Amino acid sequence: MAIERNVEQDEHIEQLWYMKEQGETSLDFLKKTMKRSFDSKIINELSLLGMLEQNPEDSIIKLTADGEARARQLIRAHRLAERLVADVLGGGDLEQIACEFEHTVSLELVNGICTLLGHPKECPHGMPIPEGECCRQAMKSASSFIIPLSDIKLGESARIAYINCKNDQQIHKLDGLCIRPGVIVKLHQNYPTYVIECEGSSIALDQDVVANISVWKNFNEANDEGCHRTADEKDKGGNWIKKVLAILSGRR
Amino acid sequence: MESNQPPILTVPEATKVKKVAIIGIPNTGKTQIFNNLTGEYNIVANYPGTTVEMRRSLTRIKDKYYEIIDTPGLHCLYIHSEEEIAVRDMILAEAPDVILQCIDASQYKQSLLLTAELLELETPMVIVLNSMDETARKGIWIDSEALERIIGVPVVESIASRGLGKEKIKEAIGHARKGSLDLKYGLAIEKCIIALAAELPFDLEFKYKIASLLLLTDPFVEKFLEKRFGSPRAALIRQETNKVRRQMKGNIHQVFIERRSRWVDQISAAVIKKQKMTYQGFSYHFTRASRDPVLGIPIFLAFMAVVYLSVVYVSGALDKFIDFFLVFPVTSLISKLTLPPFWKDLLIGDYGILTLGLFNAIGTVLPILSVFFFIFGCFEDSGYITNFTVFSKRIFAKIGIPGNAVTSLVLGFGCKTMATLSARSLTIPKEKFIAVFLIAFAIPCSAQLGISMAILAKVGISAFLIVFAMLGFCEMGAGIILNKMIKSKEASSFIQVIPPMRFPSLKAVFRKTYHRVADFLQEALPIFLLSAAGLFAFQKTGLLNLIKQLLTPLIVGWMGLPKDIVDVFLLAFARREAAAGLILKMVNAGSLNYVQSIVAVVVTTISFPCVANVTAIGREMGFKTAMAMAALIFISSFILAGALNWLLVLTMPH
Repeated sequence: MAIERNVEQDEHIEQLWYMKEQGETSLDFLKKTMKRSFDSKIINELSLLGMLEQNPEDSIIKLTADGEARARQLIRAHRLAERLVADVLGGGDLEQIACEFEHTVSLELVNGICTLLGHPKECPHGMPIPEGECCRQAMKSASSFIIPLSDIKLGESARIAYINCKNDQQIHKLDGLCIRPGVIVKLHQNYPTYVIECEGSSIALDQDVVANISVWKNFNEANDEGCHRTADEKDKGGNWIKKVLAILSGRR
Repeated sequence: MESNQPPILTVPEATKVKKVAIIGIPNTGKTQIFNNLTGEYNIVANYPGTTVEMRRSLTRIKDKYYEIIDTPGLHCLYIHSEEEIAVRDMILAEAPDVILQCIDASQYKQSLLLTAELLELETPMVIVLNSMDETARKGIWIDSEALERIIGVPVVESIASRGLGKEKIKEAIGHARKGSLDLKYGLAIEKCIIALAAELPFDLEFKYKIASLLLLTDPFVEKFLEKRFGSPRAALIRQETNKVRRQMKGNIHQVFIERRSRWVDQISAAVIKKQKMTYQGFSYHFTRASRDPVLGIPIFLAFMAVVYLSVVYVSGALDKFIDFFLVFPVTSLISKLTLPPFWKDLLIGDYGILTLGLFNAIGTVLPILSVFFFIFGCFEDSGYITNFTVFSKRIFAKIGIPGNAVTSLVLGFGCKTMATLSARSLTIPKEKFIAVFLIAFAIPCSAQLGISMAILAKVGISAFLIVFAMLGFCEMGAGIILNKMIKSKEASSFIQVIPPMRFPSLKAVFRKTYHRVADFLQEALPIFLLSAAGLFAFQKTGLLNLIKQLLTPLIVGWMGLPKDIVDVFLLAFARREAAAGLILKMVNAGSLNYVQSIVAVVVTTISFPCVANVTAIGREMGFKTAMAMAALIFISSFILAGALNWLLVLTMPH
């Protein structure tokens, strides 16, 4: 029963985080978005726990520092789970898996997944993933299987895992050049500027763009620039899961 | 700009003229296809962004009339830069009857993303697979018939640079039809798009596409609606958009991109076969070497040496040839004639219309320009320019010029006006301002560069090096100062496709050179003649001497130049090539010494941005800014040239 309660509390806290992302602070908005699952009892509980503060006069409600810390953990777990499902396990019902995941995993496991995925900054839907302690530590952790494109050796090929873009325009621009997850790129040059080969064309990119493109390390498919996602690669996806699990179990 | 119109076609009344818009990502050969279809000639080259303006031309295919529209490159309908807005606004506002998408067949995937978006417009389309000669080299085989079957629009193969496929394209335009797009964004998103589309004004075309752009928060599409329907209605649409957007979860950009990419992958898998192995030939390795930080240096120097030697020797030979067959016979003929001295002076005197006008243009400037245009054309078509951009980026970055602006600066060595217009693609105001200023400042355009080389070659190679060191120093100084002065939080990221290098087709380069030279003669010759006549009048009325007296302290005292250089400055107001031609003559006649030649070349290179350049700046930055820039450049040229003079005089042993 106690666990049940926690899940409901978590749902409220999460919802308040989403509201914060959208710049909303009104209690009405919370009621409207949560619909039936809204529970004023839980709001009171959370108030007592010091997780949120309310101003009944103008019906403003927001998270306290403690509340935000909890929300940050939840959202982080949720969105990292989405990333894991989308990138490594090859898709599925993101939302449902992530929802179950977020309430059950430990902080260490979340950090482990985050490190494994190379500290992604956005979930598959493009929403920001809150930073964890592990992200703040060195990004070039030796155990990371996903590294920035700028870190691979000259002449090596790598498959793009995901891209953290400065803005929406940049996503579209890179996509227009076929620089997107799943595609294999080859690093030709890193000075005076980065030059990569992607889908048959050479593209010059700035350091800041290349640093935000994350690729799978140790991808050996030399001289093959135009590889499509095929059935074979799904099998590779299976191997990846094994590797993921091996690493996770090894770390704990 | 640089175009050559065939006789204007008149359309019989009551005939509907269909609009055909040629759309495609940059550097896919749109302008070449436009040229082929219309019989016009517009400058084509092998680097992205050659075309900066839309062009229209009326043409007749069988018994129907079409208005063909050539456009600058467009990556996708979600906009990144200003020249792209113009293209999309044209499509949205004019709703062309046919969209002719030009695809570089050797880089098909990038183009297919745009195809998906164009199909969403539900306009009759034709797809042209251009550069089919490149695919074989890259080991790609495209089943164009299968592509036609799948997307349901005519697909034509073409090698536009050789004029192949022209007739097929014409035929296909007549058979253009709406394609079918099997691409879904998922029920939730589509419901939102349809809901928003239903709220859009009744008489708006492409409601579905515009609705999805609105949901993607494309700021320019809101501006477009505001311009078309006025702010109150646009505000209503914005409200409606926000309402729908709130129902959507997460970032739909990712979803759009993901689905579209998947569609492209599916199509590619169905119609394209790739060899596992291809031979990367000489041009591939040479391209890589040319942008390498180390190997790039000897390649750049070798290219510069080729330019220098051919400008000096080939144009020198051409010059002698013209002197021998035109200038000497005509001059001696006129001097033998019994004419009143006034008329002789007017024709072949020091300020004669023939001497300073015609002979200066044809005898001195034309040979140099033709050779230079030819070589520059080779560079443009070879694809070296973009590779050079990459090679030289770090140097420019040091003085605060971002990579995106470097291409514009390099283009400034061709034509400053075109370079200024190409700076339109820079989205950050600070970067655009710096680029436009530096283009106008100390970069010599092709005409100046060619003639300056010829002048300095007479004085010695060290003079050439001093001048270019000085110009480089001025550019760097100005770049650093502007960078410090203007504050900006944003900085753009450099993302640039590099075209593969290839041997330029001599025929295409000759053709381009011919058109550029013809344009020069058409534009500049009358000005050469008029300015010579003007100078003649100044001299006869004594005004010239008065000006020379007035300017003596500045010219003789500060810059160390002879008084007669005033003639050069006055000509420079009209046309810089005319002034440079006169300097060359003065050097040949021995009336300028080593230091004076250097100073004269520097001052004419920097000062007086040409009228076309100032007009272009005005268009991009506003008239006031343009005038302020021109004035600033004008004044600083005299200050800098004087400083250089004193530096040289004081440091030189004699």
